[in-house]
Parts: sequence; structure tokens; C-alpha cells
Amino acid sequence: MGDKADVWQGTLALMILKTLESMGALHGYGIARRIEQISGDILSVNYGTLYPALLKLEQEGYVASEWGVSDNNRRAKYYKLTRAGRKQLEKEARDWEQTTAILAKFLSTAEQS
Amino acid sequence: MRPLRAWLLRLGGLFQKQRRDSELADELESHLAMHIEDNLRAGMSAEEARRAALLKLGGLEQTKESYRERGGLPFLETLLQDLRFALRTFRKNPGVTAIAVLTLALGIGANTTIFSWVRSVLLNPLPGSGDPERVVALETLAPNGDWLPTSYLDFRDLRENCKLMESMSVTKPMVLAVGNDSSVEHVWSEAVSGNFFELLQVKPQAGRFFSTAEVDHEQNAHPLVVIAHSFWINHFHGDPGVIGATVRINHFPYTVIGVAPKTFHGSMAGLSFSMWVPATMYGQLSSTGDHTLRDRKWRTFRVLVRLSPGALIEQARAEVQSQANQMALRDADTNEGTSATLLPLWKAHYGIQNSLLGPLSSLMAAAGVLLLIVCANVANLLLARATSRQKEFSVRLALGAPRFRLVRQLLTESLLIALAGSVAGLAFATPLGGSLGDLLPHSSLPTLAQAPIDAGVLFFMIALTSVVALLAGIVPAMHAAKSNVQATLKEGGRAGGSSARSVRLLPWFVTSEMALATVALIVAGLFVKSFHHASEIHPGFDPDHVAIAQLSLGAANYDAEQANSFCVRLREKLEGAPGVAAVSYTDYVPLNIAAGSWEDLQVQGYVASPSENMKIYRTLAAPGYFGLMKIPLLEGRDFNARDDMKAPPVMIVNQEFVRRFIPSGTAIGRRVQGWGKWFTIVGVASDSKIYRLTEAPMPYFYVPIRQIYRPEMGLVFFVRTSGTMDGAIATLRREVQAVDPTVPLLEAASLNDGISLSLFTQRISASLLSVLGSVALFLAALGLYGVMAYSVAQRTNEIGLRMALGAQRSDISRVVLGQGARLAGIGVVAGAAMAFAITRLLSSLLFGVSASDPLTFVGVAVLLTMVAIAACFIPAWRAMHVDPMVALRYE
Repeated sequence: MGDKADVWQGTLALMILKTLESMGALHGYGIARRIEQISGDILSVNYGTLYPALLKLEQEGYVASEWGVSDNNRRAKYYKLTRAGRKQLEKEARDWEQTTAILAKFLSTAEQS
Repeated sequence: MRPLRAWLLRLGGLFQKQRRDSELADELESHLAMHIEDNLRAGMSAEEARRAALLKLGGLEQTKESYRERGGLPFLETLLQDLRFALRTFRKNPGVTAIAVLTLALGIGANTTIFSWVRSVLLNPLPGSGDPERVVALETLAPNGDWLPTSYLDFRDLRENCKLMESMSVTKPMVLAVGNDSSVEHVWSEAVSGNFFELLQVKPQAGRFFSTAEVDHEQNAHPLVVIAHSFWINHFHGDPGVIGATVRINHFPYTVIGVAPKTFHGSMAGLSFSMWVPATMYGQLSSTGDHTLRDRKWRTFRVLVRLSPGALIEQARAEVQSQANQMALRDADTNEGTSATLLPLWKAHYGIQNSLLGPLSSLMAAAGVLLLIVCANVANLLLARATSRQKEFSVRLALGAPRFRLVRQLLTESLLIALAGSVAGLAFATPLGGSLGDLLPHSSLPTLAQAPIDAGVLFFMIALTSVVALLAGIVPAMHAAKSNVQATLKEGGRAGGSSARSVRLLPWFVTSEMALATVALIVAGLFVKSFHHASEIHPGFDPDHVAIAQLSLGAANYDAEQANSFCVRLREKLEGAPGVAAVSYTDYVPLNIAAGSWEDLQVQGYVASPSENMKIYRTLAAPGYFGLMKIPLLEGRDFNARDDMKAPPVMIVNQEFVRRFIPSGTAIGRRVQGWGKWFTIVGVASDSKIYRLTEAPMPYFYVPIRQIYRPEMGLVFFVRTSGTMDGAIATLRREVQAVDPTVPLLEAASLNDGISLSLFTQRISASLLSVLGSVALFLAALGLYGVMAYSVAQRTNEIGLRMALGAQRSDISRVVLGQGARLAGIGVVAGAAMAFAITRLLSSLLFGVSASDPLTFVGVAVLLTMVAIAACFIPAWRAMHVDPMVALRYE
């Protein structure tokens, strides 16, 4: 597990929002698994940071939570995207794309020189 | 928006910690269960699945902790925790806490009170006005550098020619007789130019104010008056119909056009005026107006200036100076050698702030010293307590508390103590603020005897509290954080143990407290001594048993002849009254706060150098003045009834006049020119004090009041009584009323009351500094007592051992007293050295005592040492009576 990259600070929130957008309501464990799967198991989500991050998103009003029952009939807390969360996701995704585009350009020119 | 929402939720989270924690536990449990299930599905054994899941989840407790931090506001939670803990420790040590709080209450209360005085007198001299920072005072400078009021014509010229001023206004305090004959009331008012209210940016409470265009052009044509809010309430019950009403002022009908707002009291700090009339009405109201407003020599007005936006006072001052210098050339007959300048209001020479500037600054400094002592004292107490809590700190550190948490805990405690102290301080600063009036000279002036505790003062106090908490708390806190876990825990039960470093810090605090108290007491001592010296000066006349009455003939519209016959009649009546030994009158009361008048003189046989100031101050006196005042006439004769308008002008000069201008030959018969006439000197009077008791002798002269007097000048009747002072004052009032009830009697009092004004700054400096000095002494003694008592308690064991080994009780007490005396001695010596440096700066405020007066220094040193030994006595006594058996079992 040591060779896996930890999720960068700040990007975890974006990943959570994106996951909730594509999957609908999901519990914490599901979110973590989903992020790891999407990354092709390159990323490892530290659960210790996952729950505080979810709480923060909830306090900011981007996600809402309620207790529900999982596929295996287990009680679990489900998180889902709110309208504000959807907007925030769009905004953050745009910002992120912009940042990566700039960085990509910068790196390619740096290689050429 | 979002951060605020999150913050509010977190704040709310503080109160539902339990629920949140259990919910998280549930959530994590379900997470774990799902993970284990997945692992089982992937083919792990039950145990392996559980282990892997737990591993992946990481430290359960850490997760919970960081979740908790996010859920609430850890900063606030810690603060609440610290506060709760602080309160608990306070409850455990109520004595120490009470002393600390009371000490702080003293320091903070004294500082807040004095600051509220400073604020209302110096910092905020024009309450109720808008943008007062741009308002400054314009003052005329006499050729000898004296500060003078300004003449109306000079004001008009300056107003026209100065460009860096947005507006400029005159004001002149005056007493007006308001009402009809049956009930006349004397009301303090200001005669102001039309733009006065506009300049001060005051908006009327009701009605309107005057304007320059309306009232400044024609004399005696606009009988309008603006009344103060208090006058409106007291005399008109706040009736809005007052606008347009007529009031009789000095018998003339005036129309009320407006009411000033409640917060506005006029243009002099600390005084409260009730009416404002146009300055162009000054003539009608004082009967001097035709002179006052048309003669440059009548310098009677204060001038207020509002600087143009962007103009600096320095630039404006340069402009005023150059204009005034041009006027000095253009109107050389009246203005030669004079100039003008601008001053910030708090430096202006007219008004209460001028007399209070010196005392208030020294008081503020003394209060600062007191506060330092208070800080040292509280730091002392906290440090002593921190030392005995050393073990608690060590245990906390050993259990993994970060050091900064300990610092924070202790700072929270000192902040809490400071807060309690400031609340207690406020409780006694509030009534003290109202006692500002007691500081002001006792006079007929309408003092605004209040220094309200407003937002500015509260802000000051909060800032002060934080500084105090930091100052008093930082050393003990840093100290606690440094405690050595190993060593302290190894010392076993011994609370703190005297090996702790903090014990070595305690003496430092005590020593510096002693030093500060020494400084405070030496300064107070010097002021007391200088006040004594000043009050023992003989004024050169005998003020005892003399009553004076100040009259305004101007208000009665007398001409010169009527004025004279009034004076003669009043004199006759008074001489016939019982209990009256002598009667005379002049135009001036010596040692009053008012400035006198001068005349340009030319002395026969004396050639003045071109730069020499020949403007000599004078009094117009009626016959019998010298006898009544017991001013010895050294040569020649007194004025008599034959020295009238038809007789050749005569003059009496003082000794200093003779010394300066008539160094050889006899003074009697010498001729002196003034007022365009030649006077013959007929007498030489001995020197007496004119303005201040502390002044050096200056040339002075007297002329018969009949030969010069005009009704617009002041008039003061003097009565020497063989009966009681109250009787004499009553006689004065009665006889003035009997001769002409329309003549306003401005003030009737004993001459001594008037003179006390000239010493009042010294008196309040001396008395208030003594109070602050005594408090400082008391606190320093308390500090020393605390440290010694603590040290004895810490050494009980050692003392018991010594006694068990045969030490005598006297040996023990000598050790304790010696230690205390050493601490105090070092402090006193250091304080004396500091005082030696500081008092030098005060030498201009002292009189008749050198800044390094050895008697004061030695006296204070002895006093402090004695108090210090007394403070050590109880601990020493306790040490002496330590029972070796008990002591050895101690702890």
C-alpha cells in the first residue's frame, strides 16, 4: 500500500462531489471505494480524512446526509449532492481543468527548452 | 456566506457534541462492517478481513478527533475549558484572587478615571461639534511673548486675508442679566460671530442659528439669541414654541431664534454656556461695544479657526503670522511688535484646559506608574501561585499537554483576573469621573463637571485590560511552560520546591515595585513641597478679611459720570454699613485668573532700548486701596478725592518699577507718559504679586480710577471687614442692590477664594499625586508582604530544621527581616536613581524646591524602608513561631 499515492489535500472534496454526482446517494465507505476504483487503485483514500471532509462539505451545504439502509441491509449514512453542491462541483471542476491545462502547457514548454 | 454558515453550524456543534460523537461512531462502525464484508467476499479469513479493514481505516481515535475538531470550534472549546478551569482554581484560592482583582481594580480604575478626565478636557474639548480635529485657536502674541486675546478689527482683517482657513469666528464669554426687573438671573453666555455654529458644525435642536451675512455687518442691529438645550428645558420646559419668543437680556428685548443640541455646551472645554448672542451686539450688552469692536487695542475675543481641508496647521500658522506681522506695521500705533499664531485647542491659553494640562499630564504619568506597580503585584501573585502549581503543570506536561496549552491556560487566567479587575475598576471610576468638577477651581464659572464614561473611555479600558493581562501573565506563563517535568516530579510531594526558578524571579518583581513606588512617592513629595512653598509666599498684600464684589456697569448702560457717582454712592453706603472697616475699588483683582491690562509708558529720564518692552501692566485704583490691602506705601502719598479729571494726572509705581526705570534720584515727582498724558509719580508702593504667587517682581503701576476709568472696564469693590466674611458678602450684595438694582453683581466672594485659584493647579497636582503615591506605597508593601509570606511558608521546613538544630528565634526573624530589607533596599536605591533622572523633567512644574531635593529623596527612602520592614514583620513573626516538630512534619 505504501506505493500508492495519497489523495492531495483539497482535491478530495472535488472527488467526493464528483463521485456523488455520478453515483447519486452513497455512504462513506462506498465513496472511498469508488474513488479508489476510478483511480485504478492508484489512489488510497485515508478514511481518517474522509469523514471530516464530508462533515465540512455538509456544513458548507454542498452535501446532505441521512441514515438509510445499504444493499446488504446494513444501516449506513448516505450522502447526496445538493443544488449548491452541483454548482460548486461545476465551478471547481472548471478551475481544476484550467489549472491542469496551464500546468500541462507549462510543463511541455519547459521540456522543449 | 458559505464560511459563515459553516462557522455557525460549528458553533452550534459545540452544544451537541454527544450526539455527533455517537453518530460518527455508528457511521464508522457501519463503514467497518461493510469493509469486512467486502474483504470476506474477496476470500479473506474472518480475522484477516477485520484486521485489514481496521488497518485501512487508520487510527480510529485520530479519525474521531479530527472529526470532532471539524464538528465544533476547537479554539472556543479550549477557551471554555480554560475558563472553567480558571474559575475552579480561583475558587480554590479565593484570597489570592480577591487581592489580585482588587489591586487591578485600583490600577485600572485610577487610569480610566484620569483618562476620562483627559479625554473630556484635552482630547475632546468641543463635545457636540462636528469634525473638531480641524478646529484650532488663534491667539495674539504681545511684544513680550505673552498670549493675548484678539481685537475684533484684527480678527476681521485676518479673516479676510487668510486663505488656508475655511472659517474663523470670535467668541467672548460674558455674563448677561436675563429676565425683567423682578427676577434677573445672571447667565453665562458667549458673544459669537455669525458663523460660530457653522464653524463648529453644530445643527440646531430647534429653530435656526445665525449666519455671517445676517449678523456680522451692522452693530447693535440684531437682537437675536440662541439658547442652550439645558436653558430651554429649565426655563421653557422644552416648549418648541420658544422660537420667536422674546427674552429680556440686560433690559433689551432679544428674540430666540434657535436651541442648541443637548451635547453642545459652547466653545470652552469644561465649561457650559447657556446662551449665544451675536458679537455685533456686544456693544449693546456691555456698553463697551463701540470701543470694543472698533478699537484694535481692545483685545478681548477668543478666535476659533476651522482649517481648510488639506491645510496643515503649520502652513496656516505661517500665513497667520505673516498677515499679523503686516498688520503690526500697518497699524503700528496699536499693533507694533505684536504677532499672532495658531494653536491646537488643547494648547490654547483660554479655558479650563490650559490650567489642567500640567496637572492632568502628571496625573496620567503617575497613574501609569501605578499601573506598572499593579502589574508587578499581580504578576507576583500569579507567579507565586504558578510556583505552587508546578506539580500540576509537570503532570500535565508528562501526560502530553503541549507547552503552549499551559501558557494559554495561564494567560486565560490572568485575562480573567484582569477582566474582573476592570469591571470592579469601572464600578468606582464611574462616580470618580463625575468628580472632575472638584478638580476645577471654585468659581462662578459654569463648569461642566462631568467626564462621561463613553465608548472612547471603554475602548481605552479594554485595551488597558488586555495589556495588563499580558504584562502580568506572560512571565508566570512562560515560566510554567519551562517547568522541568523530571525534576519536579522527582521532588515528590514538595509543592514546587524552592529550587524552582520562578522563586528567583519573585524578588525582581518586588524590587521593581519598590523602585516604582519610590519614584511615585518622590515625585508626589516634590509636588507637595512645592505647593507648600507656593502657598507660603506672602502675596505682598493681606487678603484675610477682605470681601470683593465684581460689578458690570456696562450692563447698566452707564456713562463715565454716572459710573463715578455710582461708585461714590456705593462707597458711602458701604462705609456706613456695620462691620465694614475699609472700602475701596479698582478695575482688577490681583491673583485672579483673568489677564490685566497694560499701557505703553515712557519714563522721564529713562531711555528704553528699541527692543525693550515698555508695555507695563497697571491697576486703576480708588483712594484707600493701599491701606485696605495693607500694601505699604514706601514713599509719597496715596491717591485722594482731589485726584479727579480736572486735577493733574498722578501715578503710584511699585519698587520694581523704580529699580528698573529710575535707578538714580528720587522717584517722587518724576514724570511718566501714558494714554497721551504726562503723569507725575506721587508715591512708591511695595511690590506685590499680580498674576501668580510664584512670579518674580515686575514693574507695575497704579493710576487714580477717576482719571482714566470708563464704564466698560471691570469694576471691583473691596471691603475689609471687622465682622464675618459672610456678613461682608451679604452687605456688598445688599448695598449694590440698594444703590442700583439694575447693576449686575457678577460675583461676591472672599479675596482668599479668588487667590486660591492662582494655586489650584499646584494644589490638585500635590493632592492627587499624594493619593496615587500612597496607593503605590500600599501596593508595593502588599507585594513585599506577599513575597515574604510566601517565602516563609516555603521555608517552613528549613526553618524548623534550623530551630531543631539550635537556632534562636531572633536569628530566624533576623534572616527574614534581612531578606525583606535587602529586597526593599535595592528597590529604593534603584527607584531613587530613576527618580533623579525623571524629576529633572518636572523642574519647570516645581516651585521653590530643587528637582533633586535631598530631604524629599531621603525622607521617601526612609519611609519606604520602614514600610517594607513593617510589611516583613508578620512573616518574620510567623517564622519565629514555627514549631520545629510541626515544621519537620510539614507536607
